[in-house]
Amino acid sequence: MRRVVVTGLGPVSSIGIGVRAFEAGLRAGRSGVGDITAFDPTGFPRTRAGEVTAFRPRELLRVLDADRWGRSACFAAAAARLAVADAGLSEVDLRDASVVVGTTSGESKVIEEFGRRVAGEGFAAVPAALAEQLPAGRLSFAVNEELGIAGESVTLATACSASNYALGYAYDAIAHGDADIVVTGGADSVCRWAHAGFVRLGAVAELECAPFDRDRTGMVTAEGGAMLVLESEEHAARRGARAYARVLGYALNCDAHHMVAPRAETIAACMRLALADAGLTPEDVDYVCAHGTGTLANDATEAEALHAAFAGRVPPVSSIKSMLGHTMGAASAFGLIAAALAIARGFLPPTINWTTPDPAMPWLDPVANRAREAKVRVAQNNGFAFGGNNAISLLGAV
Amino acid sequence: MSALSISGLGLVGPAGNTPDELVSALSTPGGPVDVTGMYEAELPGALAYALPEFSTRAELGRKGTSFFDRRTALTVIACGRALADAGVAVSEEIRDRTGIVVGTTAGSVRSSVDYAVETFTQDPPHLVNPALFPTTVMNCAAGQSAIWYGLRGVNATLAGGRTAFLSVLRYCRTLLRCGRADTLIAAAIDEFTPHAAWLTQLSGADVAPGEGGAAFVVRGAAAARGDAEVLDVRLGFCPRDTDISTALGATIRGVLDRAGLAAGEITTVASGTDDDAFKATVAALDGRAPRRLRVDEVVGDCPTAVGAVELAALLSEHRADPARDGAVSLLVARTPEGAFGVAAVRAWSRS
Repeated sequence: MRRVVVTGLGPVSSIGIGVRAFEAGLRAGRSGVGDITAFDPTGFPRTRAGEVTAFRPRELLRVLDADRWGRSACFAAAAARLAVADAGLSEVDLRDASVVVGTTSGESKVIEEFGRRVAGEGFAAVPAALAEQLPAGRLSFAVNEELGIAGESVTLATACSASNYALGYAYDAIAHGDADIVVTGGADSVCRWAHAGFVRLGAVAELECAPFDRDRTGMVTAEGGAMLVLESEEHAARRGARAYARVLGYALNCDAHHMVAPRAETIAACMRLALADAGLTPEDVDYVCAHGTGTLANDATEAEALHAAFAGRVPPVSSIKSMLGHTMGAASAFGLIAAALAIARGFLPPTINWTTPDPAMPWLDPVANRAREAKVRVAQNNGFAFGGNNAISLLGAV
Repeated sequence: MSALSISGLGLVGPAGNTPDELVSALSTPGGPVDVTGMYEAELPGALAYALPEFSTRAELGRKGTSFFDRRTALTVIACGRALADAGVAVSEEIRDRTGIVVGTTAGSVRSSVDYAVETFTQDPPHLVNPALFPTTVMNCAAGQSAIWYGLRGVNATLAGGRTAFLSVLRYCRTLLRCGRADTLIAAAIDEFTPHAAWLTQLSGADVAPGEGGAAFVVRGAAAARGDAEVLDVRLGFCPRDTDISTALGATIRGVLDRAGLAAGEITTVASGTDDDAFKATVAALDGRAPRRLRVDEVVGDCPTAVGAVELAALLSEHRADPARDGAVSLLVARTPEGAFGVAAVRAWSRS
């Protein structure tokens, strides 16, 4: 097996576009949550989202025509463009690379527009251009097209843990010699129908997302593109590239129990599988980048699973969803970028909006409100999803 | 070394529920049926290769199925038939290492688009049905199938349109090779809905819309010989200013080289309705034109499931005809954006 390192980071987020701005946002505990502008929120009892209002696809994309690709594909391609620039890779280097992108709702804004046309004038009013943009596979295809990559192009649609799935597939491909370079991550867009669904489930926060706080009121729907460059250690060394972190391992399993409610027992099992895959024990983990959506049930379940898998001795745990909101299919990839920065730069991103300990998890250190200087040798990145699709990855110091 | 061993097949759709029925349908296609009574919404045409009488409750019962969309129900059925055909009984011992990998284009477009429609017609706009929200995510069919059969192993959904099923095979091959599962169900299913029918119409397909698909029980290359082995499966992408025929041809030759196959050993090629992909394949086979397998006359336009139905057709033909034992076929697929995939499959009868 070959070693796999992270050599490029490309965040397109509500707290910053590009790795410098994103790191500054994490360190400052910046909130990217604001009033919804992506659709008309009139009549909705919750009107906040984590939108990337500064995203100008045309300023970042060099090849793709943003008018012909959906917003999520543009997020993926723009984030990939930033990640390969950060890695110092040229198009020639990338020719035989692979692309793996995770997503929850694919081109959700295209689906929204499809629905608007059907609601208004019926199916006959749906234009062919809209139908063309609908397939979710276009998220990874957009990255290949933008960067001129001829290697395989895969989109994993395993909902909110999808970009941990993507990382896992990328890791296996490099470790077993299928590829030297993989551009991987996730993307999703804020849209009306998913916001409505989460509101109706009672899962959306009133104003801010406050994971692991006793008085948390829920998640905030959000968006963005988060891409990383993974490379074999040998390939990175040969070209003199700097590595942020090494991928140590990952695991996937399935609750096979309930479509929406997560299950602590299987999640804890997934954590144990990931540690075993990486050849680590719980004591080795210095930081957990939590799934931490901020809903009462999900945070309680995640905390219970952590307590079980770490036999009560849980390292600091923070949720960057407190800053970004829930970026869905991009969430695990933003977690990976945060974890890679935690390792490379020596700090723990905070859980902002945190005021009151939850008596159900008194042992949990949420890195409250302020980033903390810390030496991080191993970081665990949690991702859970509808369908009971659990995915956990581990990054370590180079 | 081959990539995957296939040991069971589950079919669902208008071309039949068993390999025998599929072989009959291939020799005597039944044609599309009248679907005008299926939905209230306007359809672009009266005919489709659909299952107008299909009822989730009749097939799967009431318990646990109230919020299944059509795609989910069809996937659960195909997975069950694949497990039965492979003789796999899901026990406590194998649950954690048995999983499901499903191919898709955009999930159930009816489920997500109708959810969006509700937000434009309800007042207030969030009065959508919360119980239907899980059907809007693309991994609904895989997640519900895992619940139905109690499979706690890797559960994944891959989006890739016409290349989705080859992506599924490639993903399964990597998972199994890396020891991340022992047994997987690889599936791709399409549902017939007004939404799917209009998408087929808008795509300019000259075939009526279809539905159904197939699921397969797959294991690693070291497993005992089953119904077939996937000798190799490769994916690629043809970016701007590059020629798809060249890229596809190079990938096909690479697949043959690694599998130690001569061009003349390929007996059958399936490339959907894609004439250009077939021509590129023939060129890569040094101009030898093997038999072309087409399934659109029995299942219509299945933009996601086409690859799975083609593999099911190959396996069904082999099962019916021991004289074909050991013959090798190619599955070739591509998308309008330039993604493509190639798989080489050697299959046998069960005699």
